[in-house]
Amino acid sequence: MNKTSSGPVRTAILVVLGLIWLAPVYLLIVNASKAVDGYDAASVWKPSGFSLFANFGDAWEKAALGDTLVATTLYSVVAPVLAVLIGAAAGYAIVVLRLRRGFLWFVFIFGGTIFPLQMILMPLFSGFADSGLYDTRVGMIIVYTAISVPFSAFVMRNFFTGIARSVFEAAIVDGGGMFRIFRSIYLPMAGSALAAIFILQATFVWNDLLLGLTLSQSESVRPIMPALTGLQSTYGGAALPTVLAGGLLVSLPTVVLFLAAQRFFSRGLALGQF
Amino acid sequence: MTSSTIERPAPVKNRASKQRSARTGAGSAPLFGLPAAAVVALLLYLPFLWTTYVSFTDYDGLASPVWSGLANYKAMFSDPDLIGALVNTLLWVVGMVTLPVVLGLLIAVLTYGHRWGTWLRLPFLLPYAISGVAVGVIWGFVLQPDGALGQALGYFGLPGAHTGWLQAGPGNTLMMVVAVTWQAAGVNALLFVIGLQSIPAEPLEAARLDGADGFRLFLHHLWPQLRPITTVVIGLSIVGSLKTFDVVWVMTQGGPGTSSETLALSMYKETFVLNDYGQGAAIALFLSLVTFAASILYLRYQLSDGDSR
Repeated sequence: MNKTSSGPVRTAILVVLGLIWLAPVYLLIVNASKAVDGYDAASVWKPSGFSLFANFGDAWEKAALGDTLVATTLYSVVAPVLAVLIGAAAGYAIVVLRLRRGFLWFVFIFGGTIFPLQMILMPLFSGFADSGLYDTRVGMIIVYTAISVPFSAFVMRNFFTGIARSVFEAAIVDGGGMFRIFRSIYLPMAGSALAAIFILQATFVWNDLLLGLTLSQSESVRPIMPALTGLQSTYGGAALPTVLAGGLLVSLPTVVLFLAAQRFFSRGLALGQF
Repeated sequence: MTSSTIERPAPVKNRASKQRSARTGAGSAPLFGLPAAAVVALLLYLPFLWTTYVSFTDYDGLASPVWSGLANYKAMFSDPDLIGALVNTLLWVVGMVTLPVVLGLLIAVLTYGHRWGTWLRLPFLLPYAISGVAVGVIWGFVLQPDGALGQALGYFGLPGAHTGWLQAGPGNTLMMVVAVTWQAAGVNALLFVIGLQSIPAEPLEAARLDGADGFRLFLHHLWPQLRPITTVVIGLSIVGSLKTFDVVWVMTQGGPGTSSETLALSMYKETFVLNDYGQGAAIALFLSLVTFAASILYLRYQLSDGDSR
C-alpha cells in the first residue's frame, strides 16, 4: 500500500487505542513500584517512590518463588524440547518416510489437541496419584510434553511437506540411514520452525495454571502461576504492591522472550494456522 | 501418498540394502511415528475415554463408579448453579467472538501497510505474552471498587465511578470478557495481518484507482478475501472461550456466590472441591462436544491448506 494509507486519522486512532492498551501495563509497573507502607489506594494513577525491588523480594519470599522458578524453568525448557523432537520425528515419518496410512496417524496425533484440558484432568490426577507421579517434577514434564506433541507434529508435518523430495533421495544415494538423515539433514533444515514451536510451547508451559493446580502441591514442584495465585489469596487486597510485583515478575520472562523473538511468534502462528 | 509408486525408476543398484531403503523408508517409519502416537494415546486419549465413562456414573474418586445413566447430564440442565455457569459460558462465547475479533480486525486493517505498522501493533501484542493469571491480577486491580477504572471515570466526570465491577452478574462476566479482550485482540490482529498478506496487491490497486477507498475498499475487496482467516479466528475464539478458567479463577473464583462461574470452573469445583467426579466428567464431556463442533468449523481450513507453507 502507499503513503495515503498512513494518513493522520489512521495513525491517531492507532495511537489512542495503543495508549489505552498500555494503560494497564503502566498501572502495573507504577503500583508494583510503590512502597507497601503508606500505599494510597485512592491515587493509583500517580507514581510515587520506587520500591520495586523490595516488592520483588517480598513476593519472592512469600510465594517461595525461588523453588518454583527453578521447577518452572525446567518444565518450560525440557518439555517443549522433547515435544519438538517427538513431533518432528512424527512429521518426518509421515511426510518424508511416507508412513503407511500416514494421514490417519496424523489425524490421530493431531486429534489430541481438539478436546479441552478439562477432559483429561481428573484421570490424570487419579492416574498420577496411583503411579506415584503426582506432585513430582517428572510427572509435570511428562504431562507438559504430551500436551505439546500434537501441535508440534502438526507444524512439522506442514513444514516437511514444503521440502523437495529430491533432498531425501539425494541423502539415500549418499548412503545415510533413516535416523542419520533425520538428525543431520531434516532437523537442521527445520531450525526456524523448531524454534517457533519451542517458543510457543515454552510460553504455554510457563503460563499454565490448570495442570499445575491439579497435579502438584509442594513448593518445589508447583509451577509459577499456581504459586502466584497462592500469593494473591494469602494477601487479598492488603499488600497490593507485593501481589502486583509478583505478577510483573512472573510475566517478565515471557514478555522478554516475546520481544526478542517476535518473528518466531508470528511464524509459529502462521505455521499453526495454515 | 499413492504418487510414491510413480516416480521410482528403480535404477540398477548393486547394493540391495540401498534399494530397500530407497523404496520409501517405510520399514523404519513407524518407529519415528510411534513416540508421538504413544504419548498422545496414553496421556490424552486414554484419560478422554475414562472421563467419558465416568460421566455416566456416580463416582467420588474412592469407591468404584456406579452406573447412573444420564443423571449427571440431567443435573447440568436442572441445577440452578450449573445453568448459571452454562449461561455465563454462553456469554463468554458471544463476547469473545465479537469484541476481540472486531478489534483485532480493526487493528489489522489500520496497521497493515502502515509505515510504522509493526511498532503500532506492538502494544496490542504485548498482553499476549502475559499469562491468564497475570492478566487476572492486573485487571482485578484495575477493576477494584473505586480502583483505577473508577478513578479514571471520576477524573473525566463520567458516570460509573463507584461501580463494583466484579460484584454482581452478569456485569462481572462482561468485565472479565473485556480483560481477556485486552489480551486476545492483538493475536487476532496478527492472524488477520497474515490473512491480509495473502491477498494479491494488484486487484486492490486497481480498485483504488477506480476510486474505491477506505470503508468501501474494505467492504467490497478486502473483507470477502478475509473469509477463511475470519473463520479460523472465530473458531479459535469459540474454542478458547469455552475453556475460560484462569482469568475467572484469579479475579472472582466464580463468585460472588456462583455468579461468574463458567462451565470450565464448575468442572474443576465439582471434581476437586466437591469430589463429584461424575458431575465434573459430564461437564467436561459436554464442553468437549461443543468444542469439537466449533473446531470442525476451522479445522477444515487448517487441514485442507496443510501444505501451503
